[in-house]
Amino acid sequence: MDCPTCEAMVDAYIDGELSATESGAFETALAACPECRRRLDEAKAMSGLLRELPADPAPDLLRAGIERDLRAIAARPRERMRWMAMAASLIVAVSVGWVGGSITGREGTGEEAYVSTYLRVASSDHPVDVASTDRHTVKPWFAGRLDYSPVVHDLTSAGFPLEGGRVDVVGGRKVSVLVYRHNQHRVALSLWPGSGGDTTPAVRERDGFTLAEWRHGGFEMRAVSDVAPAEMTAFAKALDRATGEER
Amino acid sequence: MVDAPQPDAAATARFRAVMLPHLDAAYGFARWLTRDPVQAQDVAQEAMLRALKYFHAFRGEEARPWLLRIVRNTWTDLRTQKGANDQPLDVVEDRAAEGPDPEASALAHDRRRQVAAALAALPAESREILVLREIEDLSYKHIASVLDLPVGTVMSRLARAREKLAVELRGRLGRSVHGLPDV
Repeated sequence: MDCPTCEAMVDAYIDGELSATESGAFETALAACPECRRRLDEAKAMSGLLRELPADPAPDLLRAGIERDLRAIAARPRERMRWMAMAASLIVAVSVGWVGGSITGREGTGEEAYVSTYLRVASSDHPVDVASTDRHTVKPWFAGRLDYSPVVHDLTSAGFPLEGGRVDVVGGRKVSVLVYRHNQHRVALSLWPGSGGDTTPAVRERDGFTLAEWRHGGFEMRAVSDVAPAEMTAFAKALDRATGEER
Repeated sequence: MVDAPQPDAAATARFRAVMLPHLDAAYGFARWLTRDPVQAQDVAQEAMLRALKYFHAFRGEEARPWLLRIVRNTWTDLRTQKGANDQPLDVVEDRAAEGPDPEASALAHDRRRQVAAALAALPAESREILVLREIEDLSYKHIASVLDLPVGTVMSRLARAREKLAVELRGRLGRSVHGLPDV
């Protein structure tokens, strides 16, 4: 081994980064090379000096500051939870309005309540109370739980398989919620009897969610999802078609 | 842009168990980078907050190098923000010599003061790599990940840093220190 090679290996040698073979070769070369021995001794001595420097532990003030940060962050409700709490408080507001009879029928009213219904569906491990793709299982399940019988259709052929149903309280009233799946997304459809003729689904986006509102076959429909507006329109059309075929 | 998940109570508990044991190392590294105990606290605290924020990206590799890399990046960012207002060298060297020293022998105590001052006097590029290697005892691979360098560069930079430190030490300690022969 010539000296430049040997010299380049001094650091790797004392840092324990050489393989056993390389170390052996280096030690052999070292015997014939006083300059490299000198470098090695010096590097070892410096390493020893640096390693005996007393370590300065983290000051108590710093540790306390970090503890405070961590506690504050751990205590902070998750964004979604905070959102749901906000939505829950809005349900109360909506239910008060419902009693006064001033909320129903007004465009855009109570949509927070449906978003909150959707969030309960999307964030829950048990999004539905009755899990079934069979409408003949889901529809009877609502009997006795509601004072009306919702229309239930499986929309698998349109790309929206039925997952099941649940009952949610919206505006102080129990309503049926049907949950449909679309790829990795879910659509929460709240529906209850309404008066008046059919309307075209009004689809719009809000806070990253897609909302649809329409009336069909004597039912008020409110759908919320995180699908794209075009998919929401497709969903509403598929539902109307299925309802129309039944009549 | 996808938002990073907000750290929640569970993530914070895991962070506490995995990262908090390395707070001394984080502060120690920040201390040598900033050469100032007050700035070191700022850097370490900000780095811990950032580490928690990025903790979702921690994949169970070695925690200490992962954290030290964040400390170094935090220091770089804060220094850029504030502008390079490094302390004058004599203040820095005095500061480096402060701190607890259990060594009773006056001679050994004085030697340590000189070694600390010599290390503090080195440029950041040499200082950081020597601290990671000799004080944090990291392997070349881990040093490479902290400093975001190829391993080959770590080796050559370390050799250069040792040469610089040798010059500083010889100037301070003279010939009296065994194992540090004259050139």
